Amino acid sequence: MIAFWVVAGVLSAACAGVILSSAARAATRAGAADPTTELYRRQLREIDDLADRGLIPETERTTTHAEAARRLLAATDNQAQAWTADTSLRKPVLVVAALTPLLALGCYIAVGSPGLPDQPFKSRVAAWRAAEPATLTPPEMAVVLQELIKERGGDPEAYGYLAQAEMASDNPSGAARALRRAIELDPNRADLWEGLGEVLLVEAQGDVSPQAERAFLEALKHDPKLVNARFHVGRARIAAGQRDVGLADWRALVAELPTGDPRRAAVQSAIASAEGQAAPAAGPALGGQLAAVQGMVASLAARLEDNPDDEEGWVRLVRSYAVLGDQANRDAALAKARTKYAANPDVLKALDLAAKTEPMR
Amino acid sequence: MIVEIGSFSLALALALSLAQALLAGVARIRRSVVLAGAGQGAAIGAFAGLVVAFAALMYAFVTSDFSVSNVAANSHTAKPLLYRVAGTWGSHEGSMLLWCLALTGCGAAVAAVGRDLPAGLKTLTISVQGLLGVVFLAYTVFASNPFVRLAQPPIEGRSLNPLLQDPALAFHPPMLYLGYVGMSVVFSFAVAALIEGRVDAAWARWVRPWTLAAWSALTVGITLGAFWAYYELGWGGWWFWDPVENASFMPWLIATALLHSAIVTEKRGAMSGWTVFLALAAFTFSMLGAFLVRSGVLTSVHAFAVDPTRGVLLLAILGVTAGAGFALFAWRAPALKRGGVFAPVSRESALVLNNILLAAATATVLLGTLYPLMREAATGEAISVGPPFFNLTFTPLMAALAILLPAGPLLAWKRADAQGVMQRLWVAALIAAACGLAAFALISPRKAFASVGVAMGAWLVIGALVEIGERTRAFRTSAAESWRRLIGLPRGAWGMTLAHLGLGVFVLGACFETGWKLEAAEALPVGGRLNLGEYHLVLDEVRGLEGPNYDAERGQLRAFKGDKQICAPTPERRLYPTGGQTTSEVAICTLGVNHLYVVLGERRPTTGAPVWLVRAYWNPWALLIFIGPGIMALGGVVSLSDRRLRLAAGRKAEAAA
Repeated sequence: MIAFWVVAGVLSAACAGVILSSAARAATRAGAADPTTELYRRQLREIDDLADRGLIPETERTTTHAEAARRLLAATDNQAQAWTADTSLRKPVLVVAALTPLLALGCYIAVGSPGLPDQPFKSRVAAWRAAEPATLTPPEMAVVLQELIKERGGDPEAYGYLAQAEMASDNPSGAARALRRAIELDPNRADLWEGLGEVLLVEAQGDVSPQAERAFLEALKHDPKLVNARFHVGRARIAAGQRDVGLADWRALVAELPTGDPRRAAVQSAIASAEGQAAPAAGPALGGQLAAVQGMVASLAARLEDNPDDEEGWVRLVRSYAVLGDQANRDAALAKARTKYAANPDVLKALDLAAKTEPMR
Repeated sequence: MIVEIGSFSLALALALSLAQALLAGVARIRRSVVLAGAGQGAAIGAFAGLVVAFAALMYAFVTSDFSVSNVAANSHTAKPLLYRVAGTWGSHEGSMLLWCLALTGCGAAVAAVGRDLPAGLKTLTISVQGLLGVVFLAYTVFASNPFVRLAQPPIEGRSLNPLLQDPALAFHPPMLYLGYVGMSVVFSFAVAALIEGRVDAAWARWVRPWTLAAWSALTVGITLGAFWAYYELGWGGWWFWDPVENASFMPWLIATALLHSAIVTEKRGAMSGWTVFLALAAFTFSMLGAFLVRSGVLTSVHAFAVDPTRGVLLLAILGVTAGAGFALFAWRAPALKRGGVFAPVSRESALVLNNILLAAATATVLLGTLYPLMREAATGEAISVGPPFFNLTFTPLMAALAILLPAGPLLAWKRADAQGVMQRLWVAALIAAACGLAAFALISPRKAFASVGVAMGAWLVIGALVEIGERTRAFRTSAAESWRRLIGLPRGAWGMTLAHLGLGVFVLGACFETGWKLEAAEALPVGGRLNLGEYHLVLDEVRGLEGPNYDAERGQLRAFKGDKQICAPTPERRLYPTGGQTTSEVAICTLGVNHLYVVLGERRPTTGAPVWLVRAYWNPWALLIFIGPGIMALGGVVSLSDRRLRLAAGRKAEAAA
């Protein structure tokens, strides 16, 4: 803060100094002649020079020379009166030199943020790294993990954590990058492939893209028992027109799942809706991805209950409810967050914007 | 602290500009060297303040300080360093800061290097430049401040539009602004001359270097923009008559007219009123460009500040500044002295014709740019004025200009011998016509208009060479004598010849490319083949890859002419996850002056093997389109280095001799 005012003072003094010194130097040049006549004399010499070198014809030399000479005569007759170094005007210069920084200060105070320090990204990252990891928001966590990986080189675990943090920060493409790196380091881990498939699923708004399908198939190569991967490969087959193959996959999956497993009901309802029967209550909500999203939203809500000082978390919660079309919970979360951040217009704006997000489908 | 120092320096520059306007203005009234010197000091101080402010903003961008709202909105930590630096002027607020930097820089330059200007003209110019600084700096400080801070900085920035993350575009705005704002000095000189009541040959000579510098920068800026549009937008074209392109083109046309009319004023003392009018108009059109781009009245890649309130403010600035300038002109111009007389066939008349054609061309571009806006405002109906309008209005005017151009430099001042000029040009006309006929006869398919264009380009190029030949009396005197004359030519003459030659090269490229470009597009699987005239392309593979801040698909193709492979283009399609935008990275194979231009489009959803939309263009002579303006700008720079324009340097040289 003090450093700022010192630098601002030095800059102001320097500017006043430039005005004063420039005025003082100018005073020594009083009475300088009007340069116009010199310019016309030079023009005359140039015409002669060009004509001597044969670059303009003699006739042109005669006419242009005569004209330039007339201009020179006119300029000599109309010599501008030389300016004076009127010393009585030194005081006003001093006043202006003193007032200018004051005016600047006034403008700065109206629009600037005196005392607000710089916040370069590096120093913010250092602060996050020094903080207790549990207090960090997912995007902060993602940045810290990226930095750690940059420094120490990554292992599949680190990239896996990074992918989780990126997902929680609403950045599926970042999560996909992290998982691809993890897979490069250890291409035989089924969980990484399955995770990549799920991330790509989110990126493609729930559709099983060819890349996602490839990832799931790769996962199943290393662990044929993976439930989510099998479910989504089945979906991909049905979407590609191989309905019977997909349904057979799913039925096999149901047969293997224990009766109490909630995933079993989800797969059953998916089979039912694929067969054209009305899916009871479950609807698409249990299609895997949506269930996962709901789970994530619930855990975010729970975390905010425990640790409510997380404005980004609140904004994300409101947006998530809005996306899920869950108006009651959206409005409740919005009301809670609005009272909490009533004094912070930036957060309020972000919250209102999040609440207006269009629901999916 | 550094960011706040930048904010303070910006305010300081505003205060100093006000001091500059006041001190210099009063200095003129009191005829005081002390006050004039103080005004010059303030001008230099204002520029220094802006240098500090600009450096501070750049620091915030380089260090990704997201507590600065402008950085948070236009940068990202994953962005390469060059684009973080370029981000400084990539947004509305940052580019206003650049505008002000150039504006105060010009004021400081007049103060520092204008030692040979008469005291009255110089002091008034500095005062007017100070007033312009006050207006634009006040707008920047209070309505577009790039240093606004956020109490709660976001974790990441929202990134710069990926289309703008490009080396050509990193330097396109600074050059363009140097050109735009360079015109402000010419404007200030014009206002000062009108107040002083003297627009004479000497004034024209003082104004010319500033016009030349601004014109050269504008030429480079527009060319970089066209080059960027050519290879970044992936549409295969380089000029779209987009309103924002027109916005930069109009000041260029006016500045070109001004360069020519200033010569008449300088050599003959004639056309002084018109020259002053053009000097006022050049900066007015620059401001109009700034208004169109920033007000939100246009939809375009350039319309980066869609904000009607700020647009209205800019319109007010434009109205007041230009209004004051032209009102002063209306009041004082009738009192200006008339210059020398000239015959209908003379260099002066040719330059008058040049000015009429350029002014008419500017008027058609202005009409084509503003009419759709006015119509939409009046009737609510959106219409688009595109190439057909400009082909019918602008092109004939330019064709007339091109036909007359080679004759101009051969005409004598005051009274010229038309027959003599024709005698000297008939060989050039014959060769040009032969080039056109050859193009018509030999190039398939036959295109009459494009062939005429080739003839015209050849006419301009050969005309420029004939002009040099005339000056050196090539083939009419000994080789040694010609050589002696050649190296003795003033740089100004070289500059003119280069500029005219560059125009010819451009016309050749533009007409050839437009007439004979080939285009083909097809959805290709890996191994697929795309035919393009006598060329064909094979798509070998498409690979995913990760860039610093984007994911991409890169196509690996091979291009063949017959059986012979001529190049291996690798176009990319990039997805920038931060903003969710997709861009195409065009692959251009330069073969001589021709371009093979390949764009990888989106992957088409199919059930079988994946296919990609591949578009390819054969753009013959396309390189000339960008080389031509480069030669023109070089001509401007060469001309600027003529010692006759630098009085002090000239005097020193004479003293040494």
